[in-house]
Amino acid sequence: MQQKLIQIAGIVWTLVYASIIVWIYATEPRSFKEVTTNTRVAAGIYEVNEEKFNNGLELFRRDQFRAARDVWAGADPAQQDPRTQFYIAYAFYREGWGRVYYDDALFKQGLEAVNRAINLAPNGILTIDDANLQMHTAAELKTELEQGMERSWKDLNPLKLFRERK
Amino acid sequence: MNAYADRNRALLNFIVLPTVLLSVGLLGGLRIDGQTRQFVFIAPPLVTLLLAMLLMSLFLRVGAIDLRRWLTIEQPMLTNVSHLLTLVALFFASAQAFNSVLPENGLLHWMFSFFFLWTLWTNQFSIFDPRRLLRSLVVLFATAFVLKHLVIAGLYAPEGGWLRRLTSTLLQGIAIDVPAFAPATGYISFFALALYVGGLLLIALVPTQAATTQIDGPLVKEDIPSETSARLPD
Repeated sequence: MQQKLIQIAGIVWTLVYASIIVWIYATEPRSFKEVTTNTRVAAGIYEVNEEKFNNGLELFRRDQFRAARDVWAGADPAQQDPRTQFYIAYAFYREGWGRVYYDDALFKQGLEAVNRAINLAPNGILTIDDANLQMHTAAELKTELEQGMERSWKDLNPLKLFRERK
Repeated sequence: MNAYADRNRALLNFIVLPTVLLSVGLLGGLRIDGQTRQFVFIAPPLVTLLLAMLLMSLFLRVGAIDLRRWLTIEQPMLTNVSHLLTLVALFFASAQAFNSVLPENGLLHWMFSFFFLWTLWTNQFSIFDPRRLLRSLVVLFATAFVLKHLVIAGLYAPEGGWLRRLTSTLLQGIAIDVPAFAPATGYISFFALALYVGGLLLIALVPTQAATTQIDGPLVKEDIPSETSARLPD
C-alpha cells in the first residue's frame, strides 16, 4: 500500500515538475524576480503596483515620457495590465510626435504597446477615462500611431505644421 | 528484506530518480548572460534530440535499460506508468546534457554535434556492457565540458590574452560565433552533468530493484536474466 502511495506521489510530482520546466522554458524568465512575477500571473494573483503607476502618471503629465515609461515598466513588469500598456503607448506617441515629422522608432514601440493593451483588454475594447488625454480609446491611439508611420504625399502639406498633439 | 529498504527503494526509483533527471532537463539549457547576468534558457536544438535518441538506443542495446523489465504487462499499471515517465525524463535529460556541453551556434556547434554523432553512431556497433558504457559517457561528457566551458570559453573570453589573439589570427575568416556567458554557466553545466551521471547510476539499479519489489513477492537470483544476475552479489 505504501509503495503504491509512493508511486502515485512520484507520478504526480514528475508531471508537475515537468510542467514547471516546460512553463519556465516557454516564458523564459530572465531573473528570479521574473519567475515570481510569472508565477503570480499564472496563479491569477498578479496586480499592478498602483503607487508606481501613479508616480508614472505624474511624470507623464509633466511631459517626462521616458521616465514615466521606466516607472510604468516597474509597475507592470509582466506587461499584463491593459491600462498601463495604454499609457506606455501614449507616452511613446507623445514623445515621438513632432510638428515636422514623427519618430518612427518610438511610434513603432508605441504600436507594440497599444497592441498589447488591446489584446489584454476584454473583447479588445479599452477605454480610459482621463481628462488629460485627447484620445480615450486604444483603437484611436492605434490609428494615430499607424497613420504616423505611413508615408504619403499628404506629408508634404505645409498646413501640417499647424497640427496639434493629442 | 525489511520494510525500510522497500520504502527507500521505492522513494529512490519513483521520486528521486525522476527528480534528478528532470533537474538535468531544467539546468541543461540554462545559461547566464555575461553582461546582464540574466537567465538565458536555450531549448534543446533538434540535433540534441537526435543524439538523445542514439543514446537511448545504446542504453537498450547494452542492456542498461531492459525494456522487458521496465514496461511489462505483468507489472501493475502504476509501475509501468512510472517507468515510462522515467524513460521520457531520461530522454529529455540526455538531450539537455548534450545541450549543456554543445556550443550554442556557429561552426563549433556543428563540429561538436558531428563528433557526438560520430561517437554515438560507432558505439552502436561496438561491444559494450552497461558499466563500460557509463564510463565511456562520463569521459565523453567530461571532454566536451572541458572543451566548451574551459578551453573555448577561455579563448573567447572578453579579457582573453595572447592565446585569444593567436586563435583569432589562426582562425581568421572562419565564422566562429561564441556567445559570452558568465562563468556561472560553467558551474551550472557541471552540476547538470554531475546530476545526469548520478541519474544514470541510479537507472542502472532500477531494473533489478523493480524486479525484486514485485507485488507477487521477492524475486530470487535465478529469476533474473543471466547477464543481470552476473552483476548481483550472491
